Amino acid sequence: MKTWMHKLVHFVWPVVAVFAVTVLLLLLIGVDLAQAFRGFFYGLFGNTFQIGEIFVKSTPLLLAGLGCSIGFHCGFINLGAEGQLYIGALASSVVAIFLGDLPPAILIPLMFAAGFIAGGIWAFIPGIMKAKYGLSEVIMSIMFNYIAIQLIALSIRTWIKDPDYPFPMSSLFAENACLPLLIPHTRLHIGFFMALVFAALVYLFLWKTARGFQIRACGCNPRASFCVGVNVNRNIILSSLLSGGFAGIAGFVEVAGVQHRLIDGLSSNYGYLAIMVALLGNNHPAGVVVTAVLLGALDIGGLAMQRQAGVPTSLTTVILGIIIVVFLLRNHYSTRMKEA
Amino acid sequence: MSETILLIADFLFASVRMAAPLTFAGIGESVSETSGILNIGVEGMMLAGAFSCFLVSSLTSSLLLGILAGMLAGLLFGLLHAFITITARQNQTISGLAINFLVLGLTSFFFLVLYGQAATLPHVRTLAAIPIPLLSRIPVIGTAFFSHDILTYMLYIAVIVSTVFLRKTEYGVRLTAIGENPRAADTTGINVVRSRYIASMFNGLMCGLAGTYMMVVLFGFYIENITAGRGYIALAAVTLGRRNPAAIFFVSLLIGLTEGLQFTLQSLGVPVPSQVFSMMPYVVAVLVLLFSIGRSYDPSALGIPYDRNERH
Amino acid sequence: MHISMRNIHKSFFGAPVLVGVDFSIDSGEVHSLLGENGAGKTTLMNILYGLYEKEEGEIAMDGKPVEIHNPADALSIGIGMVHQHFQLVDTLTVSENITLGLREQGYPFPDRKRIDQRIRTLSQQFGLDVHPEKKIRGLSVGERQRVEIMKLLYRSAGILIFDEPTAVLTPPEILSFFDVLKELRKAGKGIVIITHKISEVQMISDRVTVLRDGRRVLQCRLEETDEAALSNAMIGRTLTRPRRQKRTFDPSVPRLELREATVCRRKLNVLDHFDLSMAPGEIVGIAGVDGNGQQELAEAVVGIRKVTSGSVLFDGEDITRNSIIDRMQSGMGYIPADRHHDAILLSMNLKQNLLLKKHLDRQYLKHGFINGRKTDSATKQLIRAFDVKTPSENIRIRYLSGGNQQKFVLARELDSDLRLLVAFQPTRGLDIGATDFIQKQLLALAEKGVSILLISTDLQEIISLSDRISVLYMGKNMGIVDNDENLSIDVLGAMMGGRRHEDLDA
Repeated sequence: MKTWMHKLVHFVWPVVAVFAVTVLLLLLIGVDLAQAFRGFFYGLFGNTFQIGEIFVKSTPLLLAGLGCSIGFHCGFINLGAEGQLYIGALASSVVAIFLGDLPPAILIPLMFAAGFIAGGIWAFIPGIMKAKYGLSEVIMSIMFNYIAIQLIALSIRTWIKDPDYPFPMSSLFAENACLPLLIPHTRLHIGFFMALVFAALVYLFLWKTARGFQIRACGCNPRASFCVGVNVNRNIILSSLLSGGFAGIAGFVEVAGVQHRLIDGLSSNYGYLAIMVALLGNNHPAGVVVTAVLLGALDIGGLAMQRQAGVPTSLTTVILGIIIVVFLLRNHYSTRMKEA
Repeated sequence: MSETILLIADFLFASVRMAAPLTFAGIGESVSETSGILNIGVEGMMLAGAFSCFLVSSLTSSLLLGILAGMLAGLLFGLLHAFITITARQNQTISGLAINFLVLGLTSFFFLVLYGQAATLPHVRTLAAIPIPLLSRIPVIGTAFFSHDILTYMLYIAVIVSTVFLRKTEYGVRLTAIGENPRAADTTGINVVRSRYIASMFNGLMCGLAGTYMMVVLFGFYIENITAGRGYIALAAVTLGRRNPAAIFFVSLLIGLTEGLQFTLQSLGVPVPSQVFSMMPYVVAVLVLLFSIGRSYDPSALGIPYDRNERH
Repeated sequence: MHISMRNIHKSFFGAPVLVGVDFSIDSGEVHSLLGENGAGKTTLMNILYGLYEKEEGEIAMDGKPVEIHNPADALSIGIGMVHQHFQLVDTLTVSENITLGLREQGYPFPDRKRIDQRIRTLSQQFGLDVHPEKKIRGLSVGERQRVEIMKLLYRSAGILIFDEPTAVLTPPEILSFFDVLKELRKAGKGIVIITHKISEVQMISDRVTVLRDGRRVLQCRLEETDEAALSNAMIGRTLTRPRRQKRTFDPSVPRLELREATVCRRKLNVLDHFDLSMAPGEIVGIAGVDGNGQQELAEAVVGIRKVTSGSVLFDGEDITRNSIIDRMQSGMGYIPADRHHDAILLSMNLKQNLLLKKHLDRQYLKHGFINGRKTDSATKQLIRAFDVKTPSENIRIRYLSGGNQQKFVLARELDSDLRLLVAFQPTRGLDIGATDFIQKQLLALAEKGVSILLISTDLQEIISLSDRISVLYMGKNMGIVDNDENLSIDVLGAMMGGRRHEDLDA
């Protein structure tokens, strides 16, 4: 009797907590609740464009989130996703600008590859430091993020700056460097579809291949894996490379699919959000997809709530912060419950 | 000639002010890390302090209340971080990130709600400069270090007190033991949990103070995300300064100097891009980390939740 | 000061660990507490030091009963303990470690000069060479131990308990340690030494108490006893020697050979020039009390640990530089002592745990992809063949009982290519059924030509299974004897207590 009640409470209280705080904040600022929620839902489902926006927003979260989840499976917290995203975007942009004459069938895959490799390289140093020397990847990854952001800022003001405009941004990509749209009259590009394919590939990789299994084993018990002959270092490095590579692809889709050029502020904390996406999605591709879409929806709905009811968009950031805190506390209490 | 000297003096003066928030936060973080708790949420706690200070002082017109409010806000988030990492034993990095998001959201939210419609941004009175008699007369050094406001003088005191605290008192010894080998500390009767909570709350308080400083000394007004990554630079400074408050102050000064150097060079027409300067602290931090391979300077228990009953 | 413990009873999870034990210690004496693993010696002293609660019995000091519920209580009446694992903070100085937790005069600004002076005085008084200003990080093991002792002396402890104090010391450090003990005794301190080393007991003790299986089997003054009596008491005569055919082996190329294998850690040879030669199909048992280098020996053979010097040969080939995976693929298997840390993935299911072992096996992989069907059927087969009690192959291995987990670990190692199995404490903590099963499996393996290096602290197990028995003591091979009708338990006991086989009378 007691246990099923406990389980119910265990699932329900986080949702209630988040909802309660949201409503509280809305009431606090004197907003008409009905209008706010109506605005939110209209923002999500109102028209095709809006629906498309959800998936546009979700795509980089999904890709970087997949990357972070691979890292997590090997015990590697990829805090550097933000920087890897930017570096991937830079590499893709460079290819787009300097090789813009190539046909799209060659150019786009090249840009993709550039983004993947660049992102992977950016993750390599923290990764190898952790594997070989046991150096904490936390501080180093954050430093690399800021270095990357400054490199991009420097680049778009100097060597890849658009010569036609005084603003700091790269040249506009040629048509054949842009990802085609999935649905006309929206901004939804094939990047989202690509991300779904990748989610499936990540699932196959982690759960169906030997190498993927090794990665998960190393995250589960590195000592036992070592004693059985698994090369733990190699797996940590590989997971960091893949993690960075996926964040790099996220950068690629943002420049090739959405912005069509490299700019400051390309990412609004997508890299850090991706960590949360991976965590909340339980590090499983299906969970990551769902969480990324939900987060994208939260974002777009929040924008609409602002237009309709004057609710600041920062509400969504608050909600996200609370979700994570609740998630962390729930982890603790569920462990306590298991031990009881 | 005297013009250059004046320039240098102003230069140093600005550097001290730039260094102050980094140092306040850095002192708090070094205490926390010494006890074994890593706090990525420094950025969030600074922002919370800045906003609370701004809010309270513009509502009450009292700078003192504003400063206290800022410190309190930081302390509360420090308490939250402590609860998540010590009692709930969750991952310290994730907790810090969550706090950053939460604070960013809350401050932006309330700022927009309260002042979004305002025609002009309310200003906060900034602290007056109080030149120290005699010392402020010393050429260059006097202008640079002894012609500041009271909060900056508090900075000097904080650096000295915290260095003494960590290096010379029994409290510092105990804190070091807790961060290095909590089990050993526990067996001698030291209350590991309580000490870590206090360290974390102190960290929050100092970060809040850093944010407050930005309000009442540096800017005098508030905009969204005013801290703009200074919290992360503070983390770099703590790494570079190896958790020694005096070294952190020195490093922060250097960082402040490079910012000032950047402005000066630009005004002189030297075409070094500002991003190079912005990158500097981070690049140097990475190099320092790379050089510390093999000789770990981190407290052995940093980042690891302490469980008294765990089989060892 | 006279401390007495009377009629102490203690059990863990229903199993009795101490049964009606009496013990006493006086000022100015060294009292050794001798026994094998699991005899109850550390438990008894942990009770005296307040780390455990006794279930029955009394503790008295100078005739008056005392209550000790935690180490602080023990210290307040002058009882201190130096554990096997030191509790020191590397980045602090000797002086700071010694006063950690104390509120010395001038707190929070302790007068380091006065403290250091007091430490130096104590140091002189007891011949304990410690330097208050040095940081712990650079100190040798012997020096660290002296700091631990100083911690107790600084708190005016009158009774000092040492748990296996010489386990981590080099021979010269051991002699220094005994000199310190003599000074402490002269100064009127009471000393208890928990040990299994008979030779050391003979060097330093005034009195000896021997515990076996939780009971006190002997207590007397040192001059009233001798080595034989002590080793007898430690091991007991209740071991059964099963009647087995003496087996013959192909002497040509040894399956496994260790030549002067040495593992050095912190200037101490934890495994010390160990020589061994094993024929195909032979079971060699390594007896000895835990902590004498068993872990290092097992890991050196399997490749988890690199030898500092010496070589390892497998079927005549030098594999000293070979990786773990190479050795495993050449036919080595390993059952570690700590399966939770070293063998299995607790949060994964049985199929996945099998896959862990087979992660490079062509049979289980198809172009890099996991062959689900093969993994599935192989797991089911294993479960059946080894009678692993589990609802299904998909259940997480953490929910299996210890015995079933261990059966699975063993089954996993079995392979047509297996040539050598290193079994390290294969049946520790298991119930009779599982123990029996596993031991029978090991014998069956040997019959099929698989060599088995059996490392165990359970002497009965060694005797039941081995063809030959070697004793490991302080990293050295004390000697190797045939397990036949001439096997003398006394000889084994003496070797486990520190005597080389060749030094003993035939």
